[in-house]
Amino acid sequence: MRKIGTKDIEYIAMGSTVLGTGGGGDPYIGKLLVKQAINTYGEASLVNAEDLEDDALIVPIAAFGAPMILVEKLFSGNEFMKAFEMMEEYLGKKIDAVMPAEAGGLNGVIPFAVAAEKNIPIVDADGMGRAFPRLEMVTFTLHNIPVSPIAQADEKGNRNIYHTIDNVWGETLVGATTIQMGGSCAIGCYPMSGKQVKKAAVHGIVTYAQKLGEAILDSKDKNLSPLTSLIKEASAIKLFTGKISKVTIKTEGRWNKGICEIMGLDENQGNFMDLDFQNEFLMAKKDGRPMAITPDLIVLIDAENAQPITAESVQYGTRVVVLGMKADVQWRTPEGIALGGPQKFGYKEKFIPIEELNKN
Amino acid sequence: MYYKIGVDVGGTNTDAVLVSHTNEILAKTKQTTTLDVSSGIRNAINVVISEVDVPKEDIKYIMLGTTHCTNALVERKELNSIGAIRIGLPASVSIPTMADFPDDLKILLGEHNYMVHGGYEFDGRLISSLNEEEVKKYLFAMKGEVESLAITGIFSKTLPDQELQVADWAKEILGSDVRTSCSHQLGGLGLLERENAAILNAALQKVASKMVDAFKNTVHELGLSSQLFIGQNDGTLMSLEQVQDYPVLTISSGPTNSIRGAGALSKVENGIVIDVGGTTSDGGVLVNFFPRESTQAAQIGGVLTNFRMPDVVAVGIGGGTIVRFANNQCILGPDSVGYQLKEKALAFGGDTPTLSDFFIANDELKIEGAEEPSTLRKAMEKNTGYTFQEALTVVKNEIQLAIEKLVDKLKTDSKEIPVIACGGGAFLLPKEINGASSVIFPEHLEVANAFGACIAQIGCEEEMVINTLQNDENSALEQLLERVKKELLKNGALEDSINILAKESIPLAYLPGAVKLKVKVCGDLIR
Repeated sequence: MRKIGTKDIEYIAMGSTVLGTGGGGDPYIGKLLVKQAINTYGEASLVNAEDLEDDALIVPIAAFGAPMILVEKLFSGNEFMKAFEMMEEYLGKKIDAVMPAEAGGLNGVIPFAVAAEKNIPIVDADGMGRAFPRLEMVTFTLHNIPVSPIAQADEKGNRNIYHTIDNVWGETLVGATTIQMGGSCAIGCYPMSGKQVKKAAVHGIVTYAQKLGEAILDSKDKNLSPLTSLIKEASAIKLFTGKISKVTIKTEGRWNKGICEIMGLDENQGNFMDLDFQNEFLMAKKDGRPMAITPDLIVLIDAENAQPITAESVQYGTRVVVLGMKADVQWRTPEGIALGGPQKFGYKEKFIPIEELNKN
Repeated sequence: MYYKIGVDVGGTNTDAVLVSHTNEILAKTKQTTTLDVSSGIRNAINVVISEVDVPKEDIKYIMLGTTHCTNALVERKELNSIGAIRIGLPASVSIPTMADFPDDLKILLGEHNYMVHGGYEFDGRLISSLNEEEVKKYLFAMKGEVESLAITGIFSKTLPDQELQVADWAKEILGSDVRTSCSHQLGGLGLLERENAAILNAALQKVASKMVDAFKNTVHELGLSSQLFIGQNDGTLMSLEQVQDYPVLTISSGPTNSIRGAGALSKVENGIVIDVGGTTSDGGVLVNFFPRESTQAAQIGGVLTNFRMPDVVAVGIGGGTIVRFANNQCILGPDSVGYQLKEKALAFGGDTPTLSDFFIANDELKIEGAEEPSTLRKAMEKNTGYTFQEALTVVKNEIQLAIEKLVDKLKTDSKEIPVIACGGGAFLLPKEINGASSVIFPEHLEVANAFGACIAQIGCEEEMVINTLQNDENSALEQLLERVKKELLKNGALEDSINILAKESIPLAYLPGAVKLKVKVCGDLIR
């Protein structure tokens, strides 16, 4: 168990942006919210999944909604408490710890606010090890852990408890009511035991995010290259170096879809890379050949400051490095590939692990 | 027949041009910016009106571009004590007002920050209605302690009425001396960044009033009775009254004036403008005679804001940029001798090799009081340890690389487009640039910024979110356009000169049916 203060949150938020693989919502708002909570209620305690009691009750807490709404209608903070309390009330049991459902993006930091205010630990684990756009796309689903009961609350005080027949319906129904709530809300979902967390979650992801954040933010002070440190810390494969030469974005249904074309520079002079995204980067192809495929992580990094670039802010002319990172082993099983792999997003290509795609 | 004067106050120089009503430059000057700013303006206007024989009463308009407000924020000088009201309870409490401000600025601005019930959903439904008693309680708490008030409501970009209502109550309780800054007039979507813009605006209102008074007095003392305007950062003009309401919109008007001025001088509508000064080369993109706006949130004085700003990328290449040779490498800047060129540069007896020295030595640049090129070449060979030709080739190559990188960064696609040079250091720019279809050096390029100030039009823009399940997208867009046009006419634009610069609807991710509308129009104030 270790204490998490406001400085740690800076690093974790930066690391969460890396794990967001272009999506997940900008952690800036989440970072400010959590820092405020820590300043008010004190530091949060981060606990290892292995240290949980088998019968402990763990509930992932998350922000749910449209990124544009989250930056205009800021959270009251109370909706997270309400979702938390409603879950306790409904289950008739005290929650022993919260955890992130999604370590990538905004939701990588949000649960720290609840942990600080409720003075309970937050588990160093999540259900993705990255960001994905749908509620059912978590490793918990792979272990047949139901998303329901889902406790949902908005800033006005409206609350719902959902019982859904499966995890996909959780996304469908919560998604629909969230729009009526004004486009954002807080949810508690996937209530599970300590034993289940140990088996089903991606362990150590918060600490990992913090290390990635430290590599980016602190390397300069140590006279190291932030990019080299990040690659080392993330065990990432450098897929491509170049300059964004074309960006095509369109909004289709609930998703920002697009392609970011990168013209090769330095060792990739003469090559081209296409990055496909649907909120998150899902497919990286060099000269037409796949180099990384979801659920493996594709991270776009600004070559000048080694900071991750979100899919919404890709711009022509930016010097970039594309990194590939191995997804958690759970995503690489046939079930994991079916849930978070290329077919789920409508691609014909089969999933091939990044290390095989980049074998020389 | 009438005349206009454009004045641009920069960090180093105060430039002025006197133009005819057809925008022909009749006189121009570059004067040193003075500490009190006003005397620099007086000197510059004095020079241009004494150079041409024009009756004073025929100088109908004077347009001023100034960095005054930017400097006040950066230097934390003369800022007001402010009050801030955020309308949106129960939403938004989790992040307090000024949460991410630098501490020194937060302390300067005071502690009167309040949140009240109110605000709207993205589709126009109420989050809560305003509670008059609650708002007035806070207004009484601020009475006598704040000099201006920032008001920010959730989704006020779609429905500004709650902000306006609070502003009315503020006038009633705080008196009309306390100016109000409503966020819907200042920033885009994104509550914190818009609130920050409203707060910075409120903090600048006293500075703006003083600047306006000084400008008026200076012009008056010169015996001119011209109508006065100040340029804002989208290349359009504000009346002196508007400047006192929205001073933050003058921030970055300098680059905007250069970009528009260079476009007009070269008669190029679309291209890249590079303004070379003493310390940096600032590149911007000209789109239909207006600067392209930045899509990224911008930091001003350490505060994140999202109000429109020209998209400007700077590189450390300027007339005073220091040149260093070490380990077989040539490094340009990024530091510069700046305004001390005539003390520190080799060409003026100093000991620092600057970019200007290379061009003087190569007979490409003449500055009064500089050494003879041949003498200077010898001094430079001694200083750098290379033959002059070797050093010059390397230096020019470094400039070429830096400028090509800048141009490449600014382009939105790989198509070649013209590059227009301007500013006092334009001589540094290469005559050919990879990625540019041509490099244009227009006449009067050294005063492009002052010229840009005096050709400015007036403009108006709005953005909002609508739910297309409830409203027809096209008619909502047309209505918004009508509203903006009306506002423009109210501000004095000539009806038949109105030009639509942007009319867009952008669907929002994760929100089926929700669309962001944005329109922008401009028009001529005068003929």
